[in-house]
Amino acid sequence: MRNPKFKRQLGALALGGVVTLLIAGCAGGGAAAPVVERDLGTPVAGVVPEGVFDGVTLTYAASGGIFQDGQRDAAWDPFAKISGATFLQDAFDAGKLKAMVDSGNVTWDVTNATQFDTARGCGTLYEEYDYSQVDISKVPEGTITDKCMVPNILYGLVVAYNTDAFGDNPPTSAADFFDTEKFPGKRTVSQSPYVDPQTVEFALAADGKDINDVKVSDIETAFDKYRALGDDVIGWTSGAQAQQQLESGEAVMGLVWSGRGYGAAAAGAPIAPMWDEWMIMVDSTAIPKGVKDPQAAFAAVNFYLGADQQSRMTELTSYGPVNVDATPKVDALLNTWLTTEHLKSGHAPNIDFWVENYDALSAAWAGWVTGS
Amino acid sequence: MVHATSTHNRGKRSGDGGDPARLAREPKNWRPFLLLIPAFVIVSFFFLAPLVDVFIRSISDPVLGIQNYVWLFTTPTNMVVALRTFGTSFLVTIVCLLIAYPYAYLMTIVSDRTRNMLQLFIMLPLWTSILVRTLAWLVLLQDTGPINGLLQSLFGIGPLPLIRSTFGVALGMSQVLLPFMVLPIYSALAKIDKRLLPAAANLGARPVTAFFTVYLPLSRPGIFAGSVTVFILGLGFYIIPALLGSSKEIMMSALMYQQISGFLMWGQGTALGIFMLTATIVVLVLVGRLAKGTSLFAGRVK
Repeated sequence: MRNPKFKRQLGALALGGVVTLLIAGCAGGGAAAPVVERDLGTPVAGVVPEGVFDGVTLTYAASGGIFQDGQRDAAWDPFAKISGATFLQDAFDAGKLKAMVDSGNVTWDVTNATQFDTARGCGTLYEEYDYSQVDISKVPEGTITDKCMVPNILYGLVVAYNTDAFGDNPPTSAADFFDTEKFPGKRTVSQSPYVDPQTVEFALAADGKDINDVKVSDIETAFDKYRALGDDVIGWTSGAQAQQQLESGEAVMGLVWSGRGYGAAAAGAPIAPMWDEWMIMVDSTAIPKGVKDPQAAFAAVNFYLGADQQSRMTELTSYGPVNVDATPKVDALLNTWLTTEHLKSGHAPNIDFWVENYDALSAAWAGWVTGS
Repeated sequence: MVHATSTHNRGKRSGDGGDPARLAREPKNWRPFLLLIPAFVIVSFFFLAPLVDVFIRSISDPVLGIQNYVWLFTTPTNMVVALRTFGTSFLVTIVCLLIAYPYAYLMTIVSDRTRNMLQLFIMLPLWTSILVRTLAWLVLLQDTGPINGLLQSLFGIGPLPLIRSTFGVALGMSQVLLPFMVLPIYSALAKIDKRLLPAAANLGARPVTAFFTVYLPLSRPGIFAGSVTVFILGLGFYIIPALLGSSKEIMMSALMYQQISGFLMWGQGTALGIFMLTATIVVLVLVGRLAKGTSLFAGRVK
């Protein structure tokens, strides 16, 4: 260190290293292989020509669990087998998606997101669909809610309750969820980091409010309604936790994803769904903005929408199929949890309102999940 | 360093693997420092650069300005959670200290064999995943769990709020962080000359006096190192407050995760990060001052 010449050389070397790494880092993001358009003909849901995607690698990012495993077995792996592509699975995270899109290095091809995510991020985070490449003729009516999605699953935010606790006199309305006199015991409600407008809508529906006529001031009203339950309300931060709370009897009632309620029931817990009033949920199958091979991604989604694939998906995951021709073979238990049987008594979300007032909702949500 | 020198020597002796003339021309003393360059590059790339990036985002996302910091200080939730985070971490530090000190002392007075056993007991949990251990606590502590079940059937009380409470979070975190307190305190206590205590007694000090005037001050470096480690690690906990606490025990990391991955508000998320970093450094500087000047237990030394 006494040698000044050494100091200069050390500095130059370090700078050289920094520059080299910077160049390497930038080069990784920029170049994309030119994609040849293949002739796939008119798309038919559930069909892909043999061997057309030889050598192509696609990645599906979703929220894991039996949900993603079931989708992989029902659609993505069969698609890979027929088309010659390789299909990888990854865990979805909105922050990671934003980082990929911002850096121009998108490694996911198909993702599972909420309707609100795709409506908010259409054109910025998610690619607009070319519906001429996807056969949407068999998709249930009203489930395509923005230009960047086709439905992924039909499920619901339902009240799942303990039949041992309220055997002969089960809850029959959203209002009953908040009635701790008639239905004593702890309730579990979403406090996950992901903002859920339908948890808000459920509380408003319990007050008899029309979901299609909501005001910003109603958001706090809804959270106050949950807070008023005091010690009788506990939170779940993940679907697995919701299921655990129901199975162990920590909660006698829960406002949970239908698949998690089914999970608890399938594990032998005395849990049943309340279909008299529930929130219809649709997830989006979305394609990240700047996807490397859009044609392959669209073809994969087109395959996913097939009747056979959807039947199999439902059998494996309990989540409702998004093809009206799907005829899943379900047992009695699974049948009681299938949302597609109860669409009449469900509330569809007021998507436009939530997309417009997302900031107000997320601020209120942040307060709700941190106990202030 | 040793490696470079030996290579150099070998090169000189055998005459192959290098140009002796070139080696001779260069001064010898600084070349080992070249080995530091990889470390320097790694540190600047993987620690410094992201930190700079985080700071820049906090003042430029979505637009240039201090709006993210205005949001940070004017949103009551943030301040509540920040105070809660420091409070919980402080509580856990105290709990760990109270458990670790006697334990570490025990390790200094037992036989080598027993000491190894004690060390194993403290290290064993460290080799299990935090998630698994926390889920085990969840099963034990929940309202319908065995502890509350036992309390109910034997004494007819409960269910006590063992989870979804600060108690549950502090318990889970203390268990995970205990090794980080025990090990530094043990290494400090092991260095203390045991004969000092009989010497103090010989001079008329009662055991309590001897402990507070002789033993405790000598163990201060261990207490300080352990407390700082536990406190800082505690600030970043995510999964334990999420599983063993309720929304009222959620800590700062959850708030950041929510801003970054939930709301995609990277400006606000990074502002929270910079705020926590700064606040932590300030706390450390203050504690450092305190620890250097007087004892950590200034009131009791007399």
